[in-house]
Amino acid sequence: MKVKARYVLLFILPALALYSLFVVYPLFDSLMLSFYSWKGVGPKIFVGLKNFREMFFGGFSKEVFNAFFHNIYFFIVAATLELGLGFLIAFLLASKLRGAKLFRTVVYMPNMIPLVIVGFMWNLFLNPQIGLVNNFLKFIGLKSLARPWLGDPSTALLSIILVNTWRHLGFYVLVILAAILNISPDLIEAAYIDGANNRKIATKIVLPLVLPTFRTLLILLFIGSFNVFDMVYAMTGVQAGPFRKTDVLGTVFYRTAFGGLGSAYTDMGLGAAVTVFIFAIVMPLSILYVFLVERRERAW
Amino acid sequence: MVRLTKTGTILAYAFLTIYALIIVVPFTMMVMNSFKSMRELFLKPFSFPSTFKFDNFSKAWNFAKIGVGYRNSLLVAGATVIVVVLLASMFAYMVSKYDFSFRRGVFLYTMLGLALPARLAVIPIFILLRNMNLTNSLAGLVLIYSSVNLPFSIFILKNFIDAVPNELCEAARIDGASVGYIYYKLILPLTKPALSIVAIVTFVNVWNDFFFPLILINDRSKATITLAVSIFFGEYSIQWPLLFAGLTLSIAPTVILFLIFSRFFIAGMTQGAIK
Repeated sequence: MKVKARYVLLFILPALALYSLFVVYPLFDSLMLSFYSWKGVGPKIFVGLKNFREMFFGGFSKEVFNAFFHNIYFFIVAATLELGLGFLIAFLLASKLRGAKLFRTVVYMPNMIPLVIVGFMWNLFLNPQIGLVNNFLKFIGLKSLARPWLGDPSTALLSIILVNTWRHLGFYVLVILAAILNISPDLIEAAYIDGANNRKIATKIVLPLVLPTFRTLLILLFIGSFNVFDMVYAMTGVQAGPFRKTDVLGTVFYRTAFGGLGSAYTDMGLGAAVTVFIFAIVMPLSILYVFLVERRERAW
Repeated sequence: MVRLTKTGTILAYAFLTIYALIIVVPFTMMVMNSFKSMRELFLKPFSFPSTFKFDNFSKAWNFAKIGVGYRNSLLVAGATVIVVVLLASMFAYMVSKYDFSFRRGVFLYTMLGLALPARLAVIPIFILLRNMNLTNSLAGLVLIYSSVNLPFSIFILKNFIDAVPNELCEAARIDGASVGYIYYKLILPLTKPALSIVAIVTFVNVWNDFFFPLILINDRSKATITLAVSIFFGEYSIQWPLLFAGLTLSIAPTVILFLIFSRFFIAGMTQGAIK
């Protein structure tokens, strides 16, 4: 329909202005800031590519790459667990077990809890002396498995990822379940008539048909893995102990930009450079995500 | 649909029960331990509390300023929902139903925000709000959250408004209805399910966020619930029963709401997050 220009402005300008001012402009400004050295107050000093040199080749690079590989590790483990278990559980739920409805409520519940609260809660449960996890292991006779989960360099990051999975898995289960229930029942019926067993049905029919959903979920998982912050903050603190074994780019950024006792590098410009780095990693997939979303707009 | 054999069914139930326990037991433990004394929590971590120390809750409530946190989170999340629902529906309606130049460009420009992680821009956001004297204020949070939640909301609403037949709007137009009247009397009532998805997702996102309050708020009287609990954890890190009580209090409203309206929440959050 035709419409007068002033109506267009009246209806789209408020949203456009807010979005431009508080999302788009700050992202560009981060890029600008990454070429400066700035303590948050006082003058900004233009330093060219110095922040990036420091980040990729200087003393700071050790910290950055350590964190970067943790983000990658986070993505690989979280994606494997959440998509693998998510598919298995969703497949079982698709078989119309009694109580499936109640079960959906239960699995989704952790998603309602703020990440930082989940982190604090498990921080207490994983405490080496009086935490429930070690006590439980002792109780069932597996005392040898008890350890300071978050204090042991070999288990700290994995513990955080497992807690993160505990928090998020329900979401993946329900999204995959919705995709499975979207498959035409006739297709599965026909396969049964042809004598296929459940494993065949799962791998040869259901899995290929939910792959597009997996693709979108993988992109979301990837973007999410580079956004990790709250959980680490609550479980091992901004210093991301032990010995930075749980450090991720989010905590590096926080320490660099907003300080953190014991950080050798504190500078808003350098912090902005870290966000530019994260942005450069996430951006290609973000664009792919928008592209996938936009393809549904074919009607245009 | 998928059919399981008898052993398959038994295995499935066993597996699902274990998973359900892994979710439910920690919540139960958290609640039970928040009623105990420090001594009892230490000696019998799994047992049912022998006496109920209700004053753990009143102490946690006062020390953590849970009430203030609730109020602030409710104000911020509520105001954000109103702003987002209003602005996103107006935008989506205009882009969906009318021809104007740059229509597609403007839409794609906002869709970019679906994937831009806004927290990466937190330094300039912080400076921007500081220049507007809006750091340490709930209004500043509302502005940020509204902006951040717009792209997703516009996306959902546009899909729904696209489904409203154009003929309907055109007929209203011929009958003399104005652009605003069609929005208010036709589009809003017809897209109520989408509006409620947007409202739920936005509310939960804002209520659960910790990052922006951590950076933008430093006054306890302005702390949202997540920030309030975080400060409390730093101060009372050894008083476990109090910590458990604080955690229980902090999540009680959303968990209770969720248990009552779970279908509504699940439909909204999962449909909303992925399309």
